[in-house]
Amino acid sequence: MPDRSNGYSVIGKRQPKLDGPLKTTGRSQFTDDIALPGMLYGKIVRSPVARGRIISIDTGKAERLAGVKAVITYQDCPGLMVGPDEQLLCREFVNYIGAEVAAVAAVDEDTAAEAAELISVEYEKLEAVFSLEKALAEGAPVICEGRKNNCADEFEIDVGDVDKAFSEAEHVRVDEYKLNHNHNCYAEHHVVVADHSLPGKLSVWTPNQSPLFVQKGLAALLGFSVSDVRIFNLNTGGSFSSRGGPRNHHYIAALLSRKAMRPVKIFCAADEEFLMPRDSGEHKYTVKIGVMKNGKLKAIEVVSLFDCGAHWNSILTGVFRGFSNVLAMNYRYDAMRRLGKIVYTNNPPNIGHHGGEIRQLNLVAEAELDLIAQDIGIDPLALRYQNAWEQGDTTIAGVHYGSCGLKECMEKAAKSSGWKKKQGKLPPYKGIGIGCGGIFSGGKSGMKDHDTGSAMVRIGEDGKIFLDIGFSDMGQGSHTTMAMIAAETLGIAAGDVTVIAGDTNLVPYDVTGSSQRGTFVVGNAVKAACLDARNQLAEGASKKLGVAAAQLVFRDRKVFPRKTPAKAISFQSVVSSLLHSDEGRHVMGRGFYNSPTKSREIWVSSLAFSFGAQIAEVEVNPETGVVKLIRMTVAHDVGRVINPLGMEGQLDSQVFGGMGQLLTEECIMEKGLILNPSPLDYKLPRPFEVPEVERIFVESNDPDGPFGAKEGGEGPIVCTVAIANAVSNAVGYPIKEYPITPERVLHALREKENKQETKA
Amino acid sequence: MRLPRFEYLRPSSLYECLELLEGSGHESRIMAGGTDFLVSLKQGVISPQKVISIRSVPELGSVSEDAEGNLQIGACANLSDLVKHSLVLKKLPALHDAISSVGSMHIRNMATIGGNLCLAPRCWYYNQSKQWRHAVEGCYRTGGKVCHAISGSKRCHAINSSDTAPMLIALGARVCLQKKDNKRWISLREFFRDDGRHHTVLEKGEMLTSVIIPCETGKDRSTFIKIQHRKGLDFAIGSIGASVKGNGRKKEISLIINSISSVPLFLAKAAETVMESGFNESAIGKAAEIARGETGAVTNLFTSAGYKRQIVEVLVKRALSSLKRK
Repeated sequence: MPDRSNGYSVIGKRQPKLDGPLKTTGRSQFTDDIALPGMLYGKIVRSPVARGRIISIDTGKAERLAGVKAVITYQDCPGLMVGPDEQLLCREFVNYIGAEVAAVAAVDEDTAAEAAELISVEYEKLEAVFSLEKALAEGAPVICEGRKNNCADEFEIDVGDVDKAFSEAEHVRVDEYKLNHNHNCYAEHHVVVADHSLPGKLSVWTPNQSPLFVQKGLAALLGFSVSDVRIFNLNTGGSFSSRGGPRNHHYIAALLSRKAMRPVKIFCAADEEFLMPRDSGEHKYTVKIGVMKNGKLKAIEVVSLFDCGAHWNSILTGVFRGFSNVLAMNYRYDAMRRLGKIVYTNNPPNIGHHGGEIRQLNLVAEAELDLIAQDIGIDPLALRYQNAWEQGDTTIAGVHYGSCGLKECMEKAAKSSGWKKKQGKLPPYKGIGIGCGGIFSGGKSGMKDHDTGSAMVRIGEDGKIFLDIGFSDMGQGSHTTMAMIAAETLGIAAGDVTVIAGDTNLVPYDVTGSSQRGTFVVGNAVKAACLDARNQLAEGASKKLGVAAAQLVFRDRKVFPRKTPAKAISFQSVVSSLLHSDEGRHVMGRGFYNSPTKSREIWVSSLAFSFGAQIAEVEVNPETGVVKLIRMTVAHDVGRVINPLGMEGQLDSQVFGGMGQLLTEECIMEKGLILNPSPLDYKLPRPFEVPEVERIFVESNDPDGPFGAKEGGEGPIVCTVAIANAVSNAVGYPIKEYPITPERVLHALREKENKQETKA
Repeated sequence: MRLPRFEYLRPSSLYECLELLEGSGHESRIMAGGTDFLVSLKQGVISPQKVISIRSVPELGSVSEDAEGNLQIGACANLSDLVKHSLVLKKLPALHDAISSVGSMHIRNMATIGGNLCLAPRCWYYNQSKQWRHAVEGCYRTGGKVCHAISGSKRCHAINSSDTAPMLIALGARVCLQKKDNKRWISLREFFRDDGRHHTVLEKGEMLTSVIIPCETGKDRSTFIKIQHRKGLDFAIGSIGASVKGNGRKKEISLIINSISSVPLFLAKAAETVMESGFNESAIGKAAEIARGETGAVTNLFTSAGYKRQIVEVLVKRALSSLKRK
């Protein structure tokens, strides 16, 4: 049966999350709810020194404390490298405050904490560096042996003839931007339960977005066959990029469990979470854009520095290179160049936050575009529109757009927000700004050479189904989306689907819950599995109805010939008749999906891209510098909206996330310490700050997506740069450091005054 | 974070409470709502051997009005109850604003007026977990000899963030401090100490038992304004309690600002400017500018000293304009 462009019975209907009632009544299970017989509690001893040499570690007192069952140091895991430059449990050197040095497991949390305090570690303090400039300066202490100038990684990506394009440009502008460190702020703190009490087997419960990566990582480093490591991913309270693989507390819990031969739980409350952040560190950018006077964009170049803290993660290499494509994603530049440098400091290690570096790169590129528009006297929206890619285009980076609703998003957002009436015509301190962007829906990359998602569907005798998938739902509602795709394909109701996930022993292979691949990749796999099952059912129904299988329609729990719906028989009766036939067939379907592209580059290998345009309206108080986000108009091309209710939630939450990161959220760093390590002092917005959000869905019906759908889980946050542009518009002066705190607004206002005085 | 071990005492009368306090001296601490206290306990910022909960002391929870119309509030009166209390709503709307700006509803459901007045000054160098503090040198507050907020300073510069204190001072509130065999009433303004060691004048074995707020008469009026990063669940970047008492030449204006330094600040010169020149725009502007210079702000808790001074100016301007309108 071919996909219908409309007339779906499940897709496009407002479906409340299937796990909603359990969550809202507090009955969902999370990792901290796990209590195994004989379970111990672990506590990690962390370095209080930003850079130092370990002179001695004395664990004697801790080991002798009643109730302590295991104490581990580097001696228990010699040479266990959890990253290219990171030994699990520091041996000779510590390079950041919070680095794991030892760990204990005891019968209860109090004893574990007491034992941890009894472990005495003597350090010789060494000179540490905390800023990008100081780390790169001549004669700076070398943080990672063998890495000259503290440069962890350096790369250059050129697409097209960049120098020529700049030389042809009639106007070129360069600006510098700084993005400060921000934290992921998970709703669920880091927690792990590891059970290695049976030899050769390891079970691990932990919130994460990629059970397979956690499983493989633990297996490889601790010497297990992958299938002997079982990962339970119950519900997960947020992940935001940095729960994409095994973390040090996972290894530590497993090692403690191995030594004590009992299950071990480690729970890290907010205070500890901020000592082990793996967030998005400081970024510095120099952005250069060349343009013709008529608005034709010629070239973009971004030179960036990223503070990866004390340890560099090889994932960054693939991610940073691949994500450079964002520069040429929205607009028809002739050429682009990205020069990147990843720098070691003695700050805590950083990975990324929200779509790797995409949000950050797009932010500075879009901010610069506003300045370019101002310079040449073109409306910022018109400049974007004039240069935007369209469906069928292949970008200069070689990315093909099977669907692209970027222009439609701009049109609709502009119309709905009243852009023309407001842009350039607002009273002082009121501002309006636009931000465009988008992101890929799954793809291969350095960290995964395939992007396989898979699904199995088991059809019960009562006509209800079990859908087995390895994909994590971190709160984004993917499991409900998958249930809807399954239900639509089989012609049943979403509520007839029970999603089985979160246990690697039960579910089929799935690479990871990242790269915005859920709806597109896993959705395609679910659809394939359900089509497999449907074909089997159709065969049975065809005999029953005396109609060719291809002529059958599955809808509303019924199966009927396309031309004679009155002959409908129930879905359940078809299942039942197959089971009770001579063959005794239990219908099970299987399917998998992997992007058919040959490329192994994350961006180019993806088949579908979401696009969006957002318009923000703000008001700035010139006395306090406080920014009030009044209204957001959010238009996003998600191909096809599977669940409008879920998609609205995604748009709202990404506006929420974007406004936090652009306006308030900042880890205040001092000498390698986060000064505001709590949800009280780290200024995450509250629901009261959420502005009015006008949501517009653009459905470009992607040719490769399940029912035309593509990602919608990360693209919208990329476009929230509109907020920053609106603030600059309100202030009348470009703000180039984020988040835009009240003090930075006042600073910009002062600079503007100074500049006007100098001119006068 | 886990609570340390301590002895938990729960007296059921004020007499019993004062007796316990007297008997245990420095080893004990009073706990009212516990919203701030328990966090400090978990962080190991304080580690008393005994915790005396005053939640079951009936005398401390009452709210009443005396014959002259003054409002008397027991130290353990709950903030959520006070927000809803008809006397507060009717007679002291500015106090109502101040109380409802504290924390969030969940916090106000536990927190008390006495607790908010005795709120320990906060600093982002010591209101941290033990593990965190282990990474920095001990400061005056934790037994060391430095202040990380102002390096080179000879004292602690933690910030007093009570929201009710500036309002109650502006309203001329007095507080009752009781020991086992002594009871004294002092003006709330004199309750706070700015030596960087003890933030109140409470003596050993002494506790705050109630607050009395004189009724507003005639043309008396008051206002409260708080500037914070978030709408709720946040300490102030700066808050102001302001009042005008009396009329004409006898008019008395109080401007009290908090969350800027270690104690609520009395902006005398700024208030004088308006008392002399009246509530006109230029006087208000001048007063605000004077206020800016009157305060010694500290870079601590999220904002720089310069920004805090700016906030002082804004708060004074807004408070005076609000009083002018009322």
